Amino acid sequence: MTNRGGLAELADRVRPKSKSTQWIWIAALTLSAALVLLPWVVKLDGKPHADWEQFLGRFHPLAVHLPIGLLVLLPLLEIVGRFRPALREAASFVLGFSFASCLFALVLGVLLAFGSGDAGTGVTLHESGGIVLTIGVLLCLLARPWWSSGNVPYVYPALLTCTLLALVWTAHQGGSLTHGSNYLTQYMPASLKRWTTFGTTPPATSFYAKRINPILDANCAGCHGTGKVQGGLRLDSYESLMKGGQDGPAIVAGKPEESLLLVRVTLPPSHKQFMPAEGKPPLKAEQIAWIKAWIEQGASPTAVSLAGISIHEDRPELPLQPVGDYSSLTPEIRRMAQGQGAKLMPVSKKPEDGLILYTVDASASFNDSQLAQFQKFAPYIVEAELGRTAVTDASFDTLKQFTHLRALHLEETQVTGDGISKLAPLSQLTYLNLSGTKVTAAAVVSLSSMKNLRQIYLYNTPAQPAPASEPRNPLAANAP
Amino acid sequence: MKQHPLCTDTEREPDVMRFAVSAEVKQEWAALQTRRHFLGRTGKVLGWAAMASLLGDHALRGDAPQQNAKGRSDAQAAEPLKLPYFAPKAKRAIYLFMSGGPPQIDLLDYKPNLAALYDKDIPDSVRGGQQLTGMTAGQARFPIAPSHWAFKRYGETGTWVSDLLPNTAKIVDDLTIIKSTNTEAINHEPAIMLMNTGNMNPGKPCLGAWLAYGLGSMNDNLPTFMVLQSKLNMKEDNQPVSSRLWSSGFLSSEYAGVGLRSQGDPVLYISDPNGVSHEVRRKMLDAVNAINQQTFEELGDPETHARIAQYEMAYRMQTSVPELADLSKEPKSTWDLYGPDAKEPGTFAYNCLMARRMAERGVRFTQVYKRGWDVHGNVTGTLPILCQETDRACYALVTDLKQRGLLDDTLVIWAGEFGRTVYSQGGLTPENYGRDHHPRCFTTWMTGGGVRTGITFGETDEYSYNVIKDPVTVRDFNATILHCLGIDHNKLTYKFQGLDQKLTGPTPASVVQGLLA
Repeated sequence: MTNRGGLAELADRVRPKSKSTQWIWIAALTLSAALVLLPWVVKLDGKPHADWEQFLGRFHPLAVHLPIGLLVLLPLLEIVGRFRPALREAASFVLGFSFASCLFALVLGVLLAFGSGDAGTGVTLHESGGIVLTIGVLLCLLARPWWSSGNVPYVYPALLTCTLLALVWTAHQGGSLTHGSNYLTQYMPASLKRWTTFGTTPPATSFYAKRINPILDANCAGCHGTGKVQGGLRLDSYESLMKGGQDGPAIVAGKPEESLLLVRVTLPPSHKQFMPAEGKPPLKAEQIAWIKAWIEQGASPTAVSLAGISIHEDRPELPLQPVGDYSSLTPEIRRMAQGQGAKLMPVSKKPEDGLILYTVDASASFNDSQLAQFQKFAPYIVEAELGRTAVTDASFDTLKQFTHLRALHLEETQVTGDGISKLAPLSQLTYLNLSGTKVTAAAVVSLSSMKNLRQIYLYNTPAQPAPASEPRNPLAANAP
Repeated sequence: MKQHPLCTDTEREPDVMRFAVSAEVKQEWAALQTRRHFLGRTGKVLGWAAMASLLGDHALRGDAPQQNAKGRSDAQAAEPLKLPYFAPKAKRAIYLFMSGGPPQIDLLDYKPNLAALYDKDIPDSVRGGQQLTGMTAGQARFPIAPSHWAFKRYGETGTWVSDLLPNTAKIVDDLTIIKSTNTEAINHEPAIMLMNTGNMNPGKPCLGAWLAYGLGSMNDNLPTFMVLQSKLNMKEDNQPVSSRLWSSGFLSSEYAGVGLRSQGDPVLYISDPNGVSHEVRRKMLDAVNAINQQTFEELGDPETHARIAQYEMAYRMQTSVPELADLSKEPKSTWDLYGPDAKEPGTFAYNCLMARRMAERGVRFTQVYKRGWDVHGNVTGTLPILCQETDRACYALVTDLKQRGLLDDTLVIWAGEFGRTVYSQGGLTPENYGRDHHPRCFTTWMTGGGVRTGITFGETDEYSYNVIKDPVTVRDFNATILHCLGIDHNKLTYKFQGLDQKLTGPTPASVVQGLLA
């Protein structure tokens, strides 16, 4: 062979050797194009279709394992084939069979999604993955003969690698559909999770997600949800809510009087069309007001706040931050328990759930200096039960280092609240019990910057809010 | 009542020896001693032989597992559980048990349509092939007895509550009312065993024992599981409750419930008798423990360790129980809340207050029994008394826990053995009626850590006879309670009689997700 340019050489090598290979290429390209167009031909409209489609489609999970197994086998055959050529001969057959099974699984998959009315980004991503994968296998099948004849060295291995990557990605998408997207990362060690930033979902922030959806979920989705779809109406997602039902649109953005959902819940309860039906409790006035304001202001799925709406207890549940692994400190933790009666006990079997500091066995003798001895465990302590101990305001200096503290019990102690604002950096603190102490209202107000503090108990203190029947969230009452 | 461990024969033995003893008796005593020694030794030799064949000869050389400071072998110290499986919402539970079966139709399961059906026979289609108790099976007819009391709606949830429960009505928004609880047992003993131990046959550990075994103690000076029985009033027809209900079954007996007495000392022999100082008791206890430890080394019965642990617990309780039972520092607001009954030891109200105090002090599980709910006849005479005794106390307990910030991690449960029939047992008059046992549906409630509050779960038919929506079996009920405390009911097991035993038994049970927060 003469020494010509690389591209020209490649073109020369891959030039069709005969008419039949030419036809094979044309057929393959046509098929690929058809596959690429598949999502537009069979549009996933989110509506269930024929039963037979669903019946066949349900074999998809069964069928997909065939191409997965075969494709994973391929690199093994190719590599081991260097030493045992017989295996390499089998690779060709395996590849052909993989392609056939890919096509088969793809068809079943489309039937499944179309038949059972699945839609959404997860499904479409999985579908595209399947198409890319099938085309990849087809290209591998066509490229392999050149490679094995020694003409083109790298195209087939590169194609195969890409195809295998596509396989992993597609299989993961499919797994997420059936097992949930956090299936893999759910039990990942905490440290690894933080490092990879996997498995943490952003908290619901929009007004719809926080306020409207929970109302519909609790009061309506029983009859208008996945289980029952009465009146053709589903209210379990934003998309279905906006789509409406047989009687018309449930929500008309900006027009509360045309929004059937609002009309039905505000009818007189004796009315035939009143919702929720079947003697269920009607929506609260406050909830109706939220829905109305939300519709008036555009019924947006993403708007975070609405003008003129005030919400009590508007503090979203904080996703629990895992603490680090304290396993290496276990001997020391045991020694602490033997020393003074105060002990650290794990919240659960999972180390990332942290430790609880119990002092009940030491109780009256447990003071600030003993608390200070627990400083070195500070990042792992999520709850400190210091009720009825001898700790004083001086303890806040130690406690401010308990950075993962979620609940703090100081009931019946000598605490007066002097210096309580030192707790302000404890961003995860949601529960603070000061019952039976001398803490004053002024001291408590200094905590109002702690946005995640949901419960402060002030029973039997000078700071107790006027109506004793409302111990929850006194900040809401005190704050301007 | 569980006997206080300090009150045993070991204490009295020295007294026996002080009597003047005749020569014949001494001789007989010596003969007995030698015979005992002989039999005892024979037993030991046989035991050694058996052990050696099982374990190999190292057992004979005495290099058994090392003992640690507490006198437990390492194998025991490394007990598998003692932990919640996942972060729990509730750390402890208080179970208010209404022994005898409160009539759901008269309390919380409102059936407005029954008024029109007064004295009509309950349709056969509703009753189905229901097995009846011997007490009503012979009745010629089954006339419907609507509730004697009116119902009103309360709270933001608009929950219907009977006039019998004016105080419970004030906290309905905090409760999870389960109308669809149902059981397989129709008679008292099996039903109460099933509710308490998950099995109709006696011998299984109760819920509290499982929790003590699984979660361990939060307070080393008080038992993990405590039982309070409420006084009886003279008018009640009381079915007894037995210590089988708080037994540890096949689990080590240190997990059994420990009762507090309602009269005199809360625990027998809790105070030092005249002339016996605390140090003397400590010395005696050390000696008894040493002897027990010796017995353990000889026989290897783990129950010996349970006994040592109970002696130690009893000793520590000498200081902790008087403090627990001292109500003198309770503020006036406590008495305003619980009412005057709470000042009298042993009343249900007093016990509810004690339950709150135990929750504050880290007792894992407190069970309060209230007997007398077996209203076969004279419902209109008996129910108001029962409700008066319990309604305000239940309200006070929940409110008190809530205001003190304890309800966030305390699960409170109110339940009976079964429900009661909609039809009258015996004659039905406009003034009075009776109600027989009814297993197919009964109403229970929960509140506090782990459960969704302000909801009513499950529905019964128009006769409060069959569950028509979301049934909750006793097994599901127990599985849900365990879940709130961080326990997977399928994982908390103990191998006994060749089975991995568990509270919910071998029949599948499931956590009722709709009840969870």
